[in-house]
Amino acid sequence: MANTVIAQGITIEGELTSEEDVVIQGTLRGKLVSKDTVNVESGAIVEADIAASSLSVGGHITGNVTASDRVDLMPGGRLIGDVKASRLTIADGASFKGNVDMDV
Amino acid sequence: MADVTVVGQGIFLRGSIRGEGDVEIRGRIEGDIEVGGEVTIADGALVKADVTARRIVVRGAVAGNLTGEDGVRLEQGARVVGDLRGATIGVAEGALVRGTVQTGNAPAERGRARTAAARETKPAARAAEPRKPVPAPAAAAKGNGLPRRPAAIAQEERTGPPPPVVPALKKGARAALRKRSR
Repeated sequence: MANTVIAQGITIEGELTSEEDVVIQGTLRGKLVSKDTVNVESGAIVEADIAASSLSVGGHITGNVTASDRVDLMPGGRLIGDVKASRLTIADGASFKGNVDMDV
Repeated sequence: MADVTVVGQGIFLRGSIRGEGDVEIRGRIEGDIEVGGEVTIADGALVKADVTARRIVVRGAVAGNLTGEDGVRLEQGARVVGDLRGATIGVAEGALVRGTVQTGNAPAERGRARTAAARETKPAARAAEPRKPVPAPAAAAKGNGLPRRPAAIAQEERTGPPPPVVPALKKGARAALRKRSR
């Protein structure tokens, strides 16, 4: 089980700093900085800039995203914002609007 | 129903948590917590926030007021600086509290009413019986240009036992008064 979960029905507003993986099923507004994986699950709503080692998007994100490792857009995921990551996958059925910077 | 929301040990949140569901806190939070379910503040957690929930269980450290509609329970190892309100309140041996504790139903409203009543009666009582001049007037005269409230409170304190509910003096206010009257 993941260490930190923002469950459905819960809204967190503000600045969240994490040294461990974070799973979001509810709502997050503000800013999220994680040294580990961030998992935005289907049904989640995130209006925040996210910095993480890796990010998987099954829910809706509005905000810029930075990952030191990778960003995965899952089917049904929606991302509006810029992506900065060394690896990016966009699954069939995901929506994405923004710029990609893969530091080539 | 949804999972429990967990704020893990390696988390620092500056902001608010709101909504429906249970929340378990093991990390650090500065802000506000207002949820419909049960809030558990685990051992090792550090919460600087007012917490409002249906039920609150504390095993960690809290600086802030705890309002649990159904109840508040402080387990062993809990350290709370703040007021407790709830239908039932339990404090286990080994838990530390500094603040006002108030049990009963509709706690928030009753608390508000009492404070309001205390505020209303205080000036009336003062006007009704003009007391012999204690050192307070001197202090009041010196502190003419300053806000009146601290002086008034000081007078209250010197002339009798403190009223049941008093807005807490700001940190250092008493020392400042003492310095001023010297």
